[in-house]
Amino acid sequence: MKRSLLFILIFISVIATAQTKKKPTNFNKNASKKDKFLEKQWWLGFKAGVNLTEANPTSRYTVITPTNYASALNDKVYDNFNKLGSQASLEATFYYKGFSFSFQPTYRHIRFTYSNEFNWDNPENATERLLLNYNHEQKIDYADFPLAVKYDLTGSRLRPYVQLGVFYSRLINANKSVKVSGQDFASGGTNEFSNEPVIVGAKDLFNKSYWGLTGGIGLNYNLGNVRLILDVSYKLGMSNITNTENRFGNDRLSGIGDVQDDLKINNIVISTGVLFPMRFLSNSFKTLDR
Amino acid sequence: MDMKKLQTIIQHYTSGCSLLLIIVLASGSCSNEADPVADKSNFTRIYDNDKFNTSYFPIDMRQTPDGGYLILGGRRIEDSNFSGVYLTKVDELGAFVSEQEVDEVNVNPIGPLMELNGKYYFFCMTAVGLQTQLIEIDASGVIAQTIDVGGSYPAAAALDNSNFVLLSYDNLSKQSVVSLVTPAGSISKSKGFSIGAGDAVEEPIINHFIRTGRQLPFQVGKTSSGQYYFNGFYNYTFSMVVTDLAADNPIGVVQGQQEDGGFSQIQQIDGGKFAASRFNFGDNYFLPNVSIAVSGTSSVADLGGNKLPELTSNAPVMILKASFNGKNNLIYASNTRSKQIALFIYDQTNGEFLGSRYLGFSNPFEIANLITTSDGGIAVCGTTYVAGRFPRICLFKIGKDEFSSSIK
Repeated sequence: MKRSLLFILIFISVIATAQTKKKPTNFNKNASKKDKFLEKQWWLGFKAGVNLTEANPTSRYTVITPTNYASALNDKVYDNFNKLGSQASLEATFYYKGFSFSFQPTYRHIRFTYSNEFNWDNPENATERLLLNYNHEQKIDYADFPLAVKYDLTGSRLRPYVQLGVFYSRLINANKSVKVSGQDFASGGTNEFSNEPVIVGAKDLFNKSYWGLTGGIGLNYNLGNVRLILDVSYKLGMSNITNTENRFGNDRLSGIGDVQDDLKINNIVISTGVLFPMRFLSNSFKTLDR
Repeated sequence: MDMKKLQTIIQHYTSGCSLLLIIVLASGSCSNEADPVADKSNFTRIYDNDKFNTSYFPIDMRQTPDGGYLILGGRRIEDSNFSGVYLTKVDELGAFVSEQEVDEVNVNPIGPLMELNGKYYFFCMTAVGLQTQLIEIDASGVIAQTIDVGGSYPAAAALDNSNFVLLSYDNLSKQSVVSLVTPAGSISKSKGFSIGAGDAVEEPIINHFIRTGRQLPFQVGKTSSGQYYFNGFYNYTFSMVVTDLAADNPIGVVQGQQEDGGFSQIQQIDGGKFAASRFNFGDNYFLPNVSIAVSGTSSVADLGGNKLPELTSNAPVMILKASFNGKNNLIYASNTRSKQIALFIYDQTNGEFLGSRYLGFSNPFEIANLITTSDGGIAVCGTTYVAGRFPRICLFKIGKDEFSSSIK
């Protein structure tokens, strides 16, 4: 269903672009007409790159509920912007007089980790002690549908730009792995152990969609008949990604003692790619740019 | 930038994709914020103590009027062979509220935790004289009074209108004793039944109480026809015994196989129809719709049933009557060999199997009891071994919709 929606959106954007291309144009009749022609352009292309994720818990939840110590001792510690994800986008952009309106359907794979620690001891006997570390990694795939406005800061061959927009993301898939390691001091020595990670499908634990705002900077470089792009943007998640109704729905994770917090996620997204113009100055497909 | 230029720009951007994106954005993303109803409806909690050598296990629980849960449990104590008394109160979200490690003067708490006129009661016994005590607590788990009942080794109890029916073991006369106890602690009726002569028959009973041996499924109750029954030792055998508490001899006996066979749980549906489970030399059988003769002598082994090899040897079984999807169901809860709590759902009217649900993973989980909750869901209480070693109380709350999805 989500894949179908993705394809439909891409298809519509391509059709829209193609229709624009078919509009009659007056090629290179004189300088003023050329300038007028250059005021607007359609671009179609693709880009790909890497991303880093920050997870912000807005409400914390726990399975392990302390009765004689502070629950904060077991709080999950989120490791922000430490795991590389990746993304690939199609881009359809309409340029007009320095402004560009861009639709960039994206497949985005994100990763983030958190850990928590548990300690059991006996104040009267130092050897009666167990330390456990739970390391969790989430891998989530989204189909993003961002709509952004770009503004070119210069009109030269190298064009830096700034952009702002909104995005809507549909969940495609999610997995979670939990690795438990620890130190057992009660075995007659220091017994360091590490269990095989438990990997579970976690799609049900996440909301089917979330939305956010995006802003960033980038560079366009016109090379021959194409435009190269380097894009750095920040995605600010505005809604909870956790499925609140199904928070405890995975018995395997609950049994381990893990439950999903309410989370908003932010991403740093770096992409490079290439755009192709859809309107041309002449039949020889000369580039539109000076 | 003047407004005219902006309008021109906007007019040029007329492709269908932008419109579609706005529609999608508006339609789908505002419904995923915090959900207090869901938080109460479904949760899993493990109540942890960070002391290395403490151990807790639940016995029974009740939902209190504030939506929270009151859990009666036991705990390991150093100065007695018996378990100490542990009470904990959690709120409707399962969050810990309070706990009470009851003084070691009283030990061996038994279920159920019985609610009568807004108060909660359970039986235990003194650590020294082994005398049965009736403990009254309020909805927050605070002990209101402790009443000396007399008799020894309380084994099982049940609510009988405004009184309690108690099964206990008298180690002096070597009898299983059924008593009617008032909330004030006085015994209005009592009848004892010999377990048989010799120490051999007593050994599993004592091992049950000091928890060094198998936990035997002692049970007591009242049938719809007004007779009392108990599941315990009678005449060398773990049997279901039916009595009117007047005649010296039982009205009916459904014999087990010494301590190796018998009922592991009995719930009367109506008349002679019961939902039951039985154990036989380690094997477990569910009988969700069985006729049991409450008079005369018969054998548990003759009742057949569905054999469940996935359950632990001589597994404890709890049976709950509950309605889901417009049907009266029976939920059997037990322990699997894979260390999970298994819930099996049957149609109460004909015993048809309707579904199953498994709780717990990684660490061992064991059933204590399950109840229906005020929101139409169920709550399951058990023991888990945190980090594979520390016995702690766990509580699963499963909402009505969530649990209904497990039923065919």
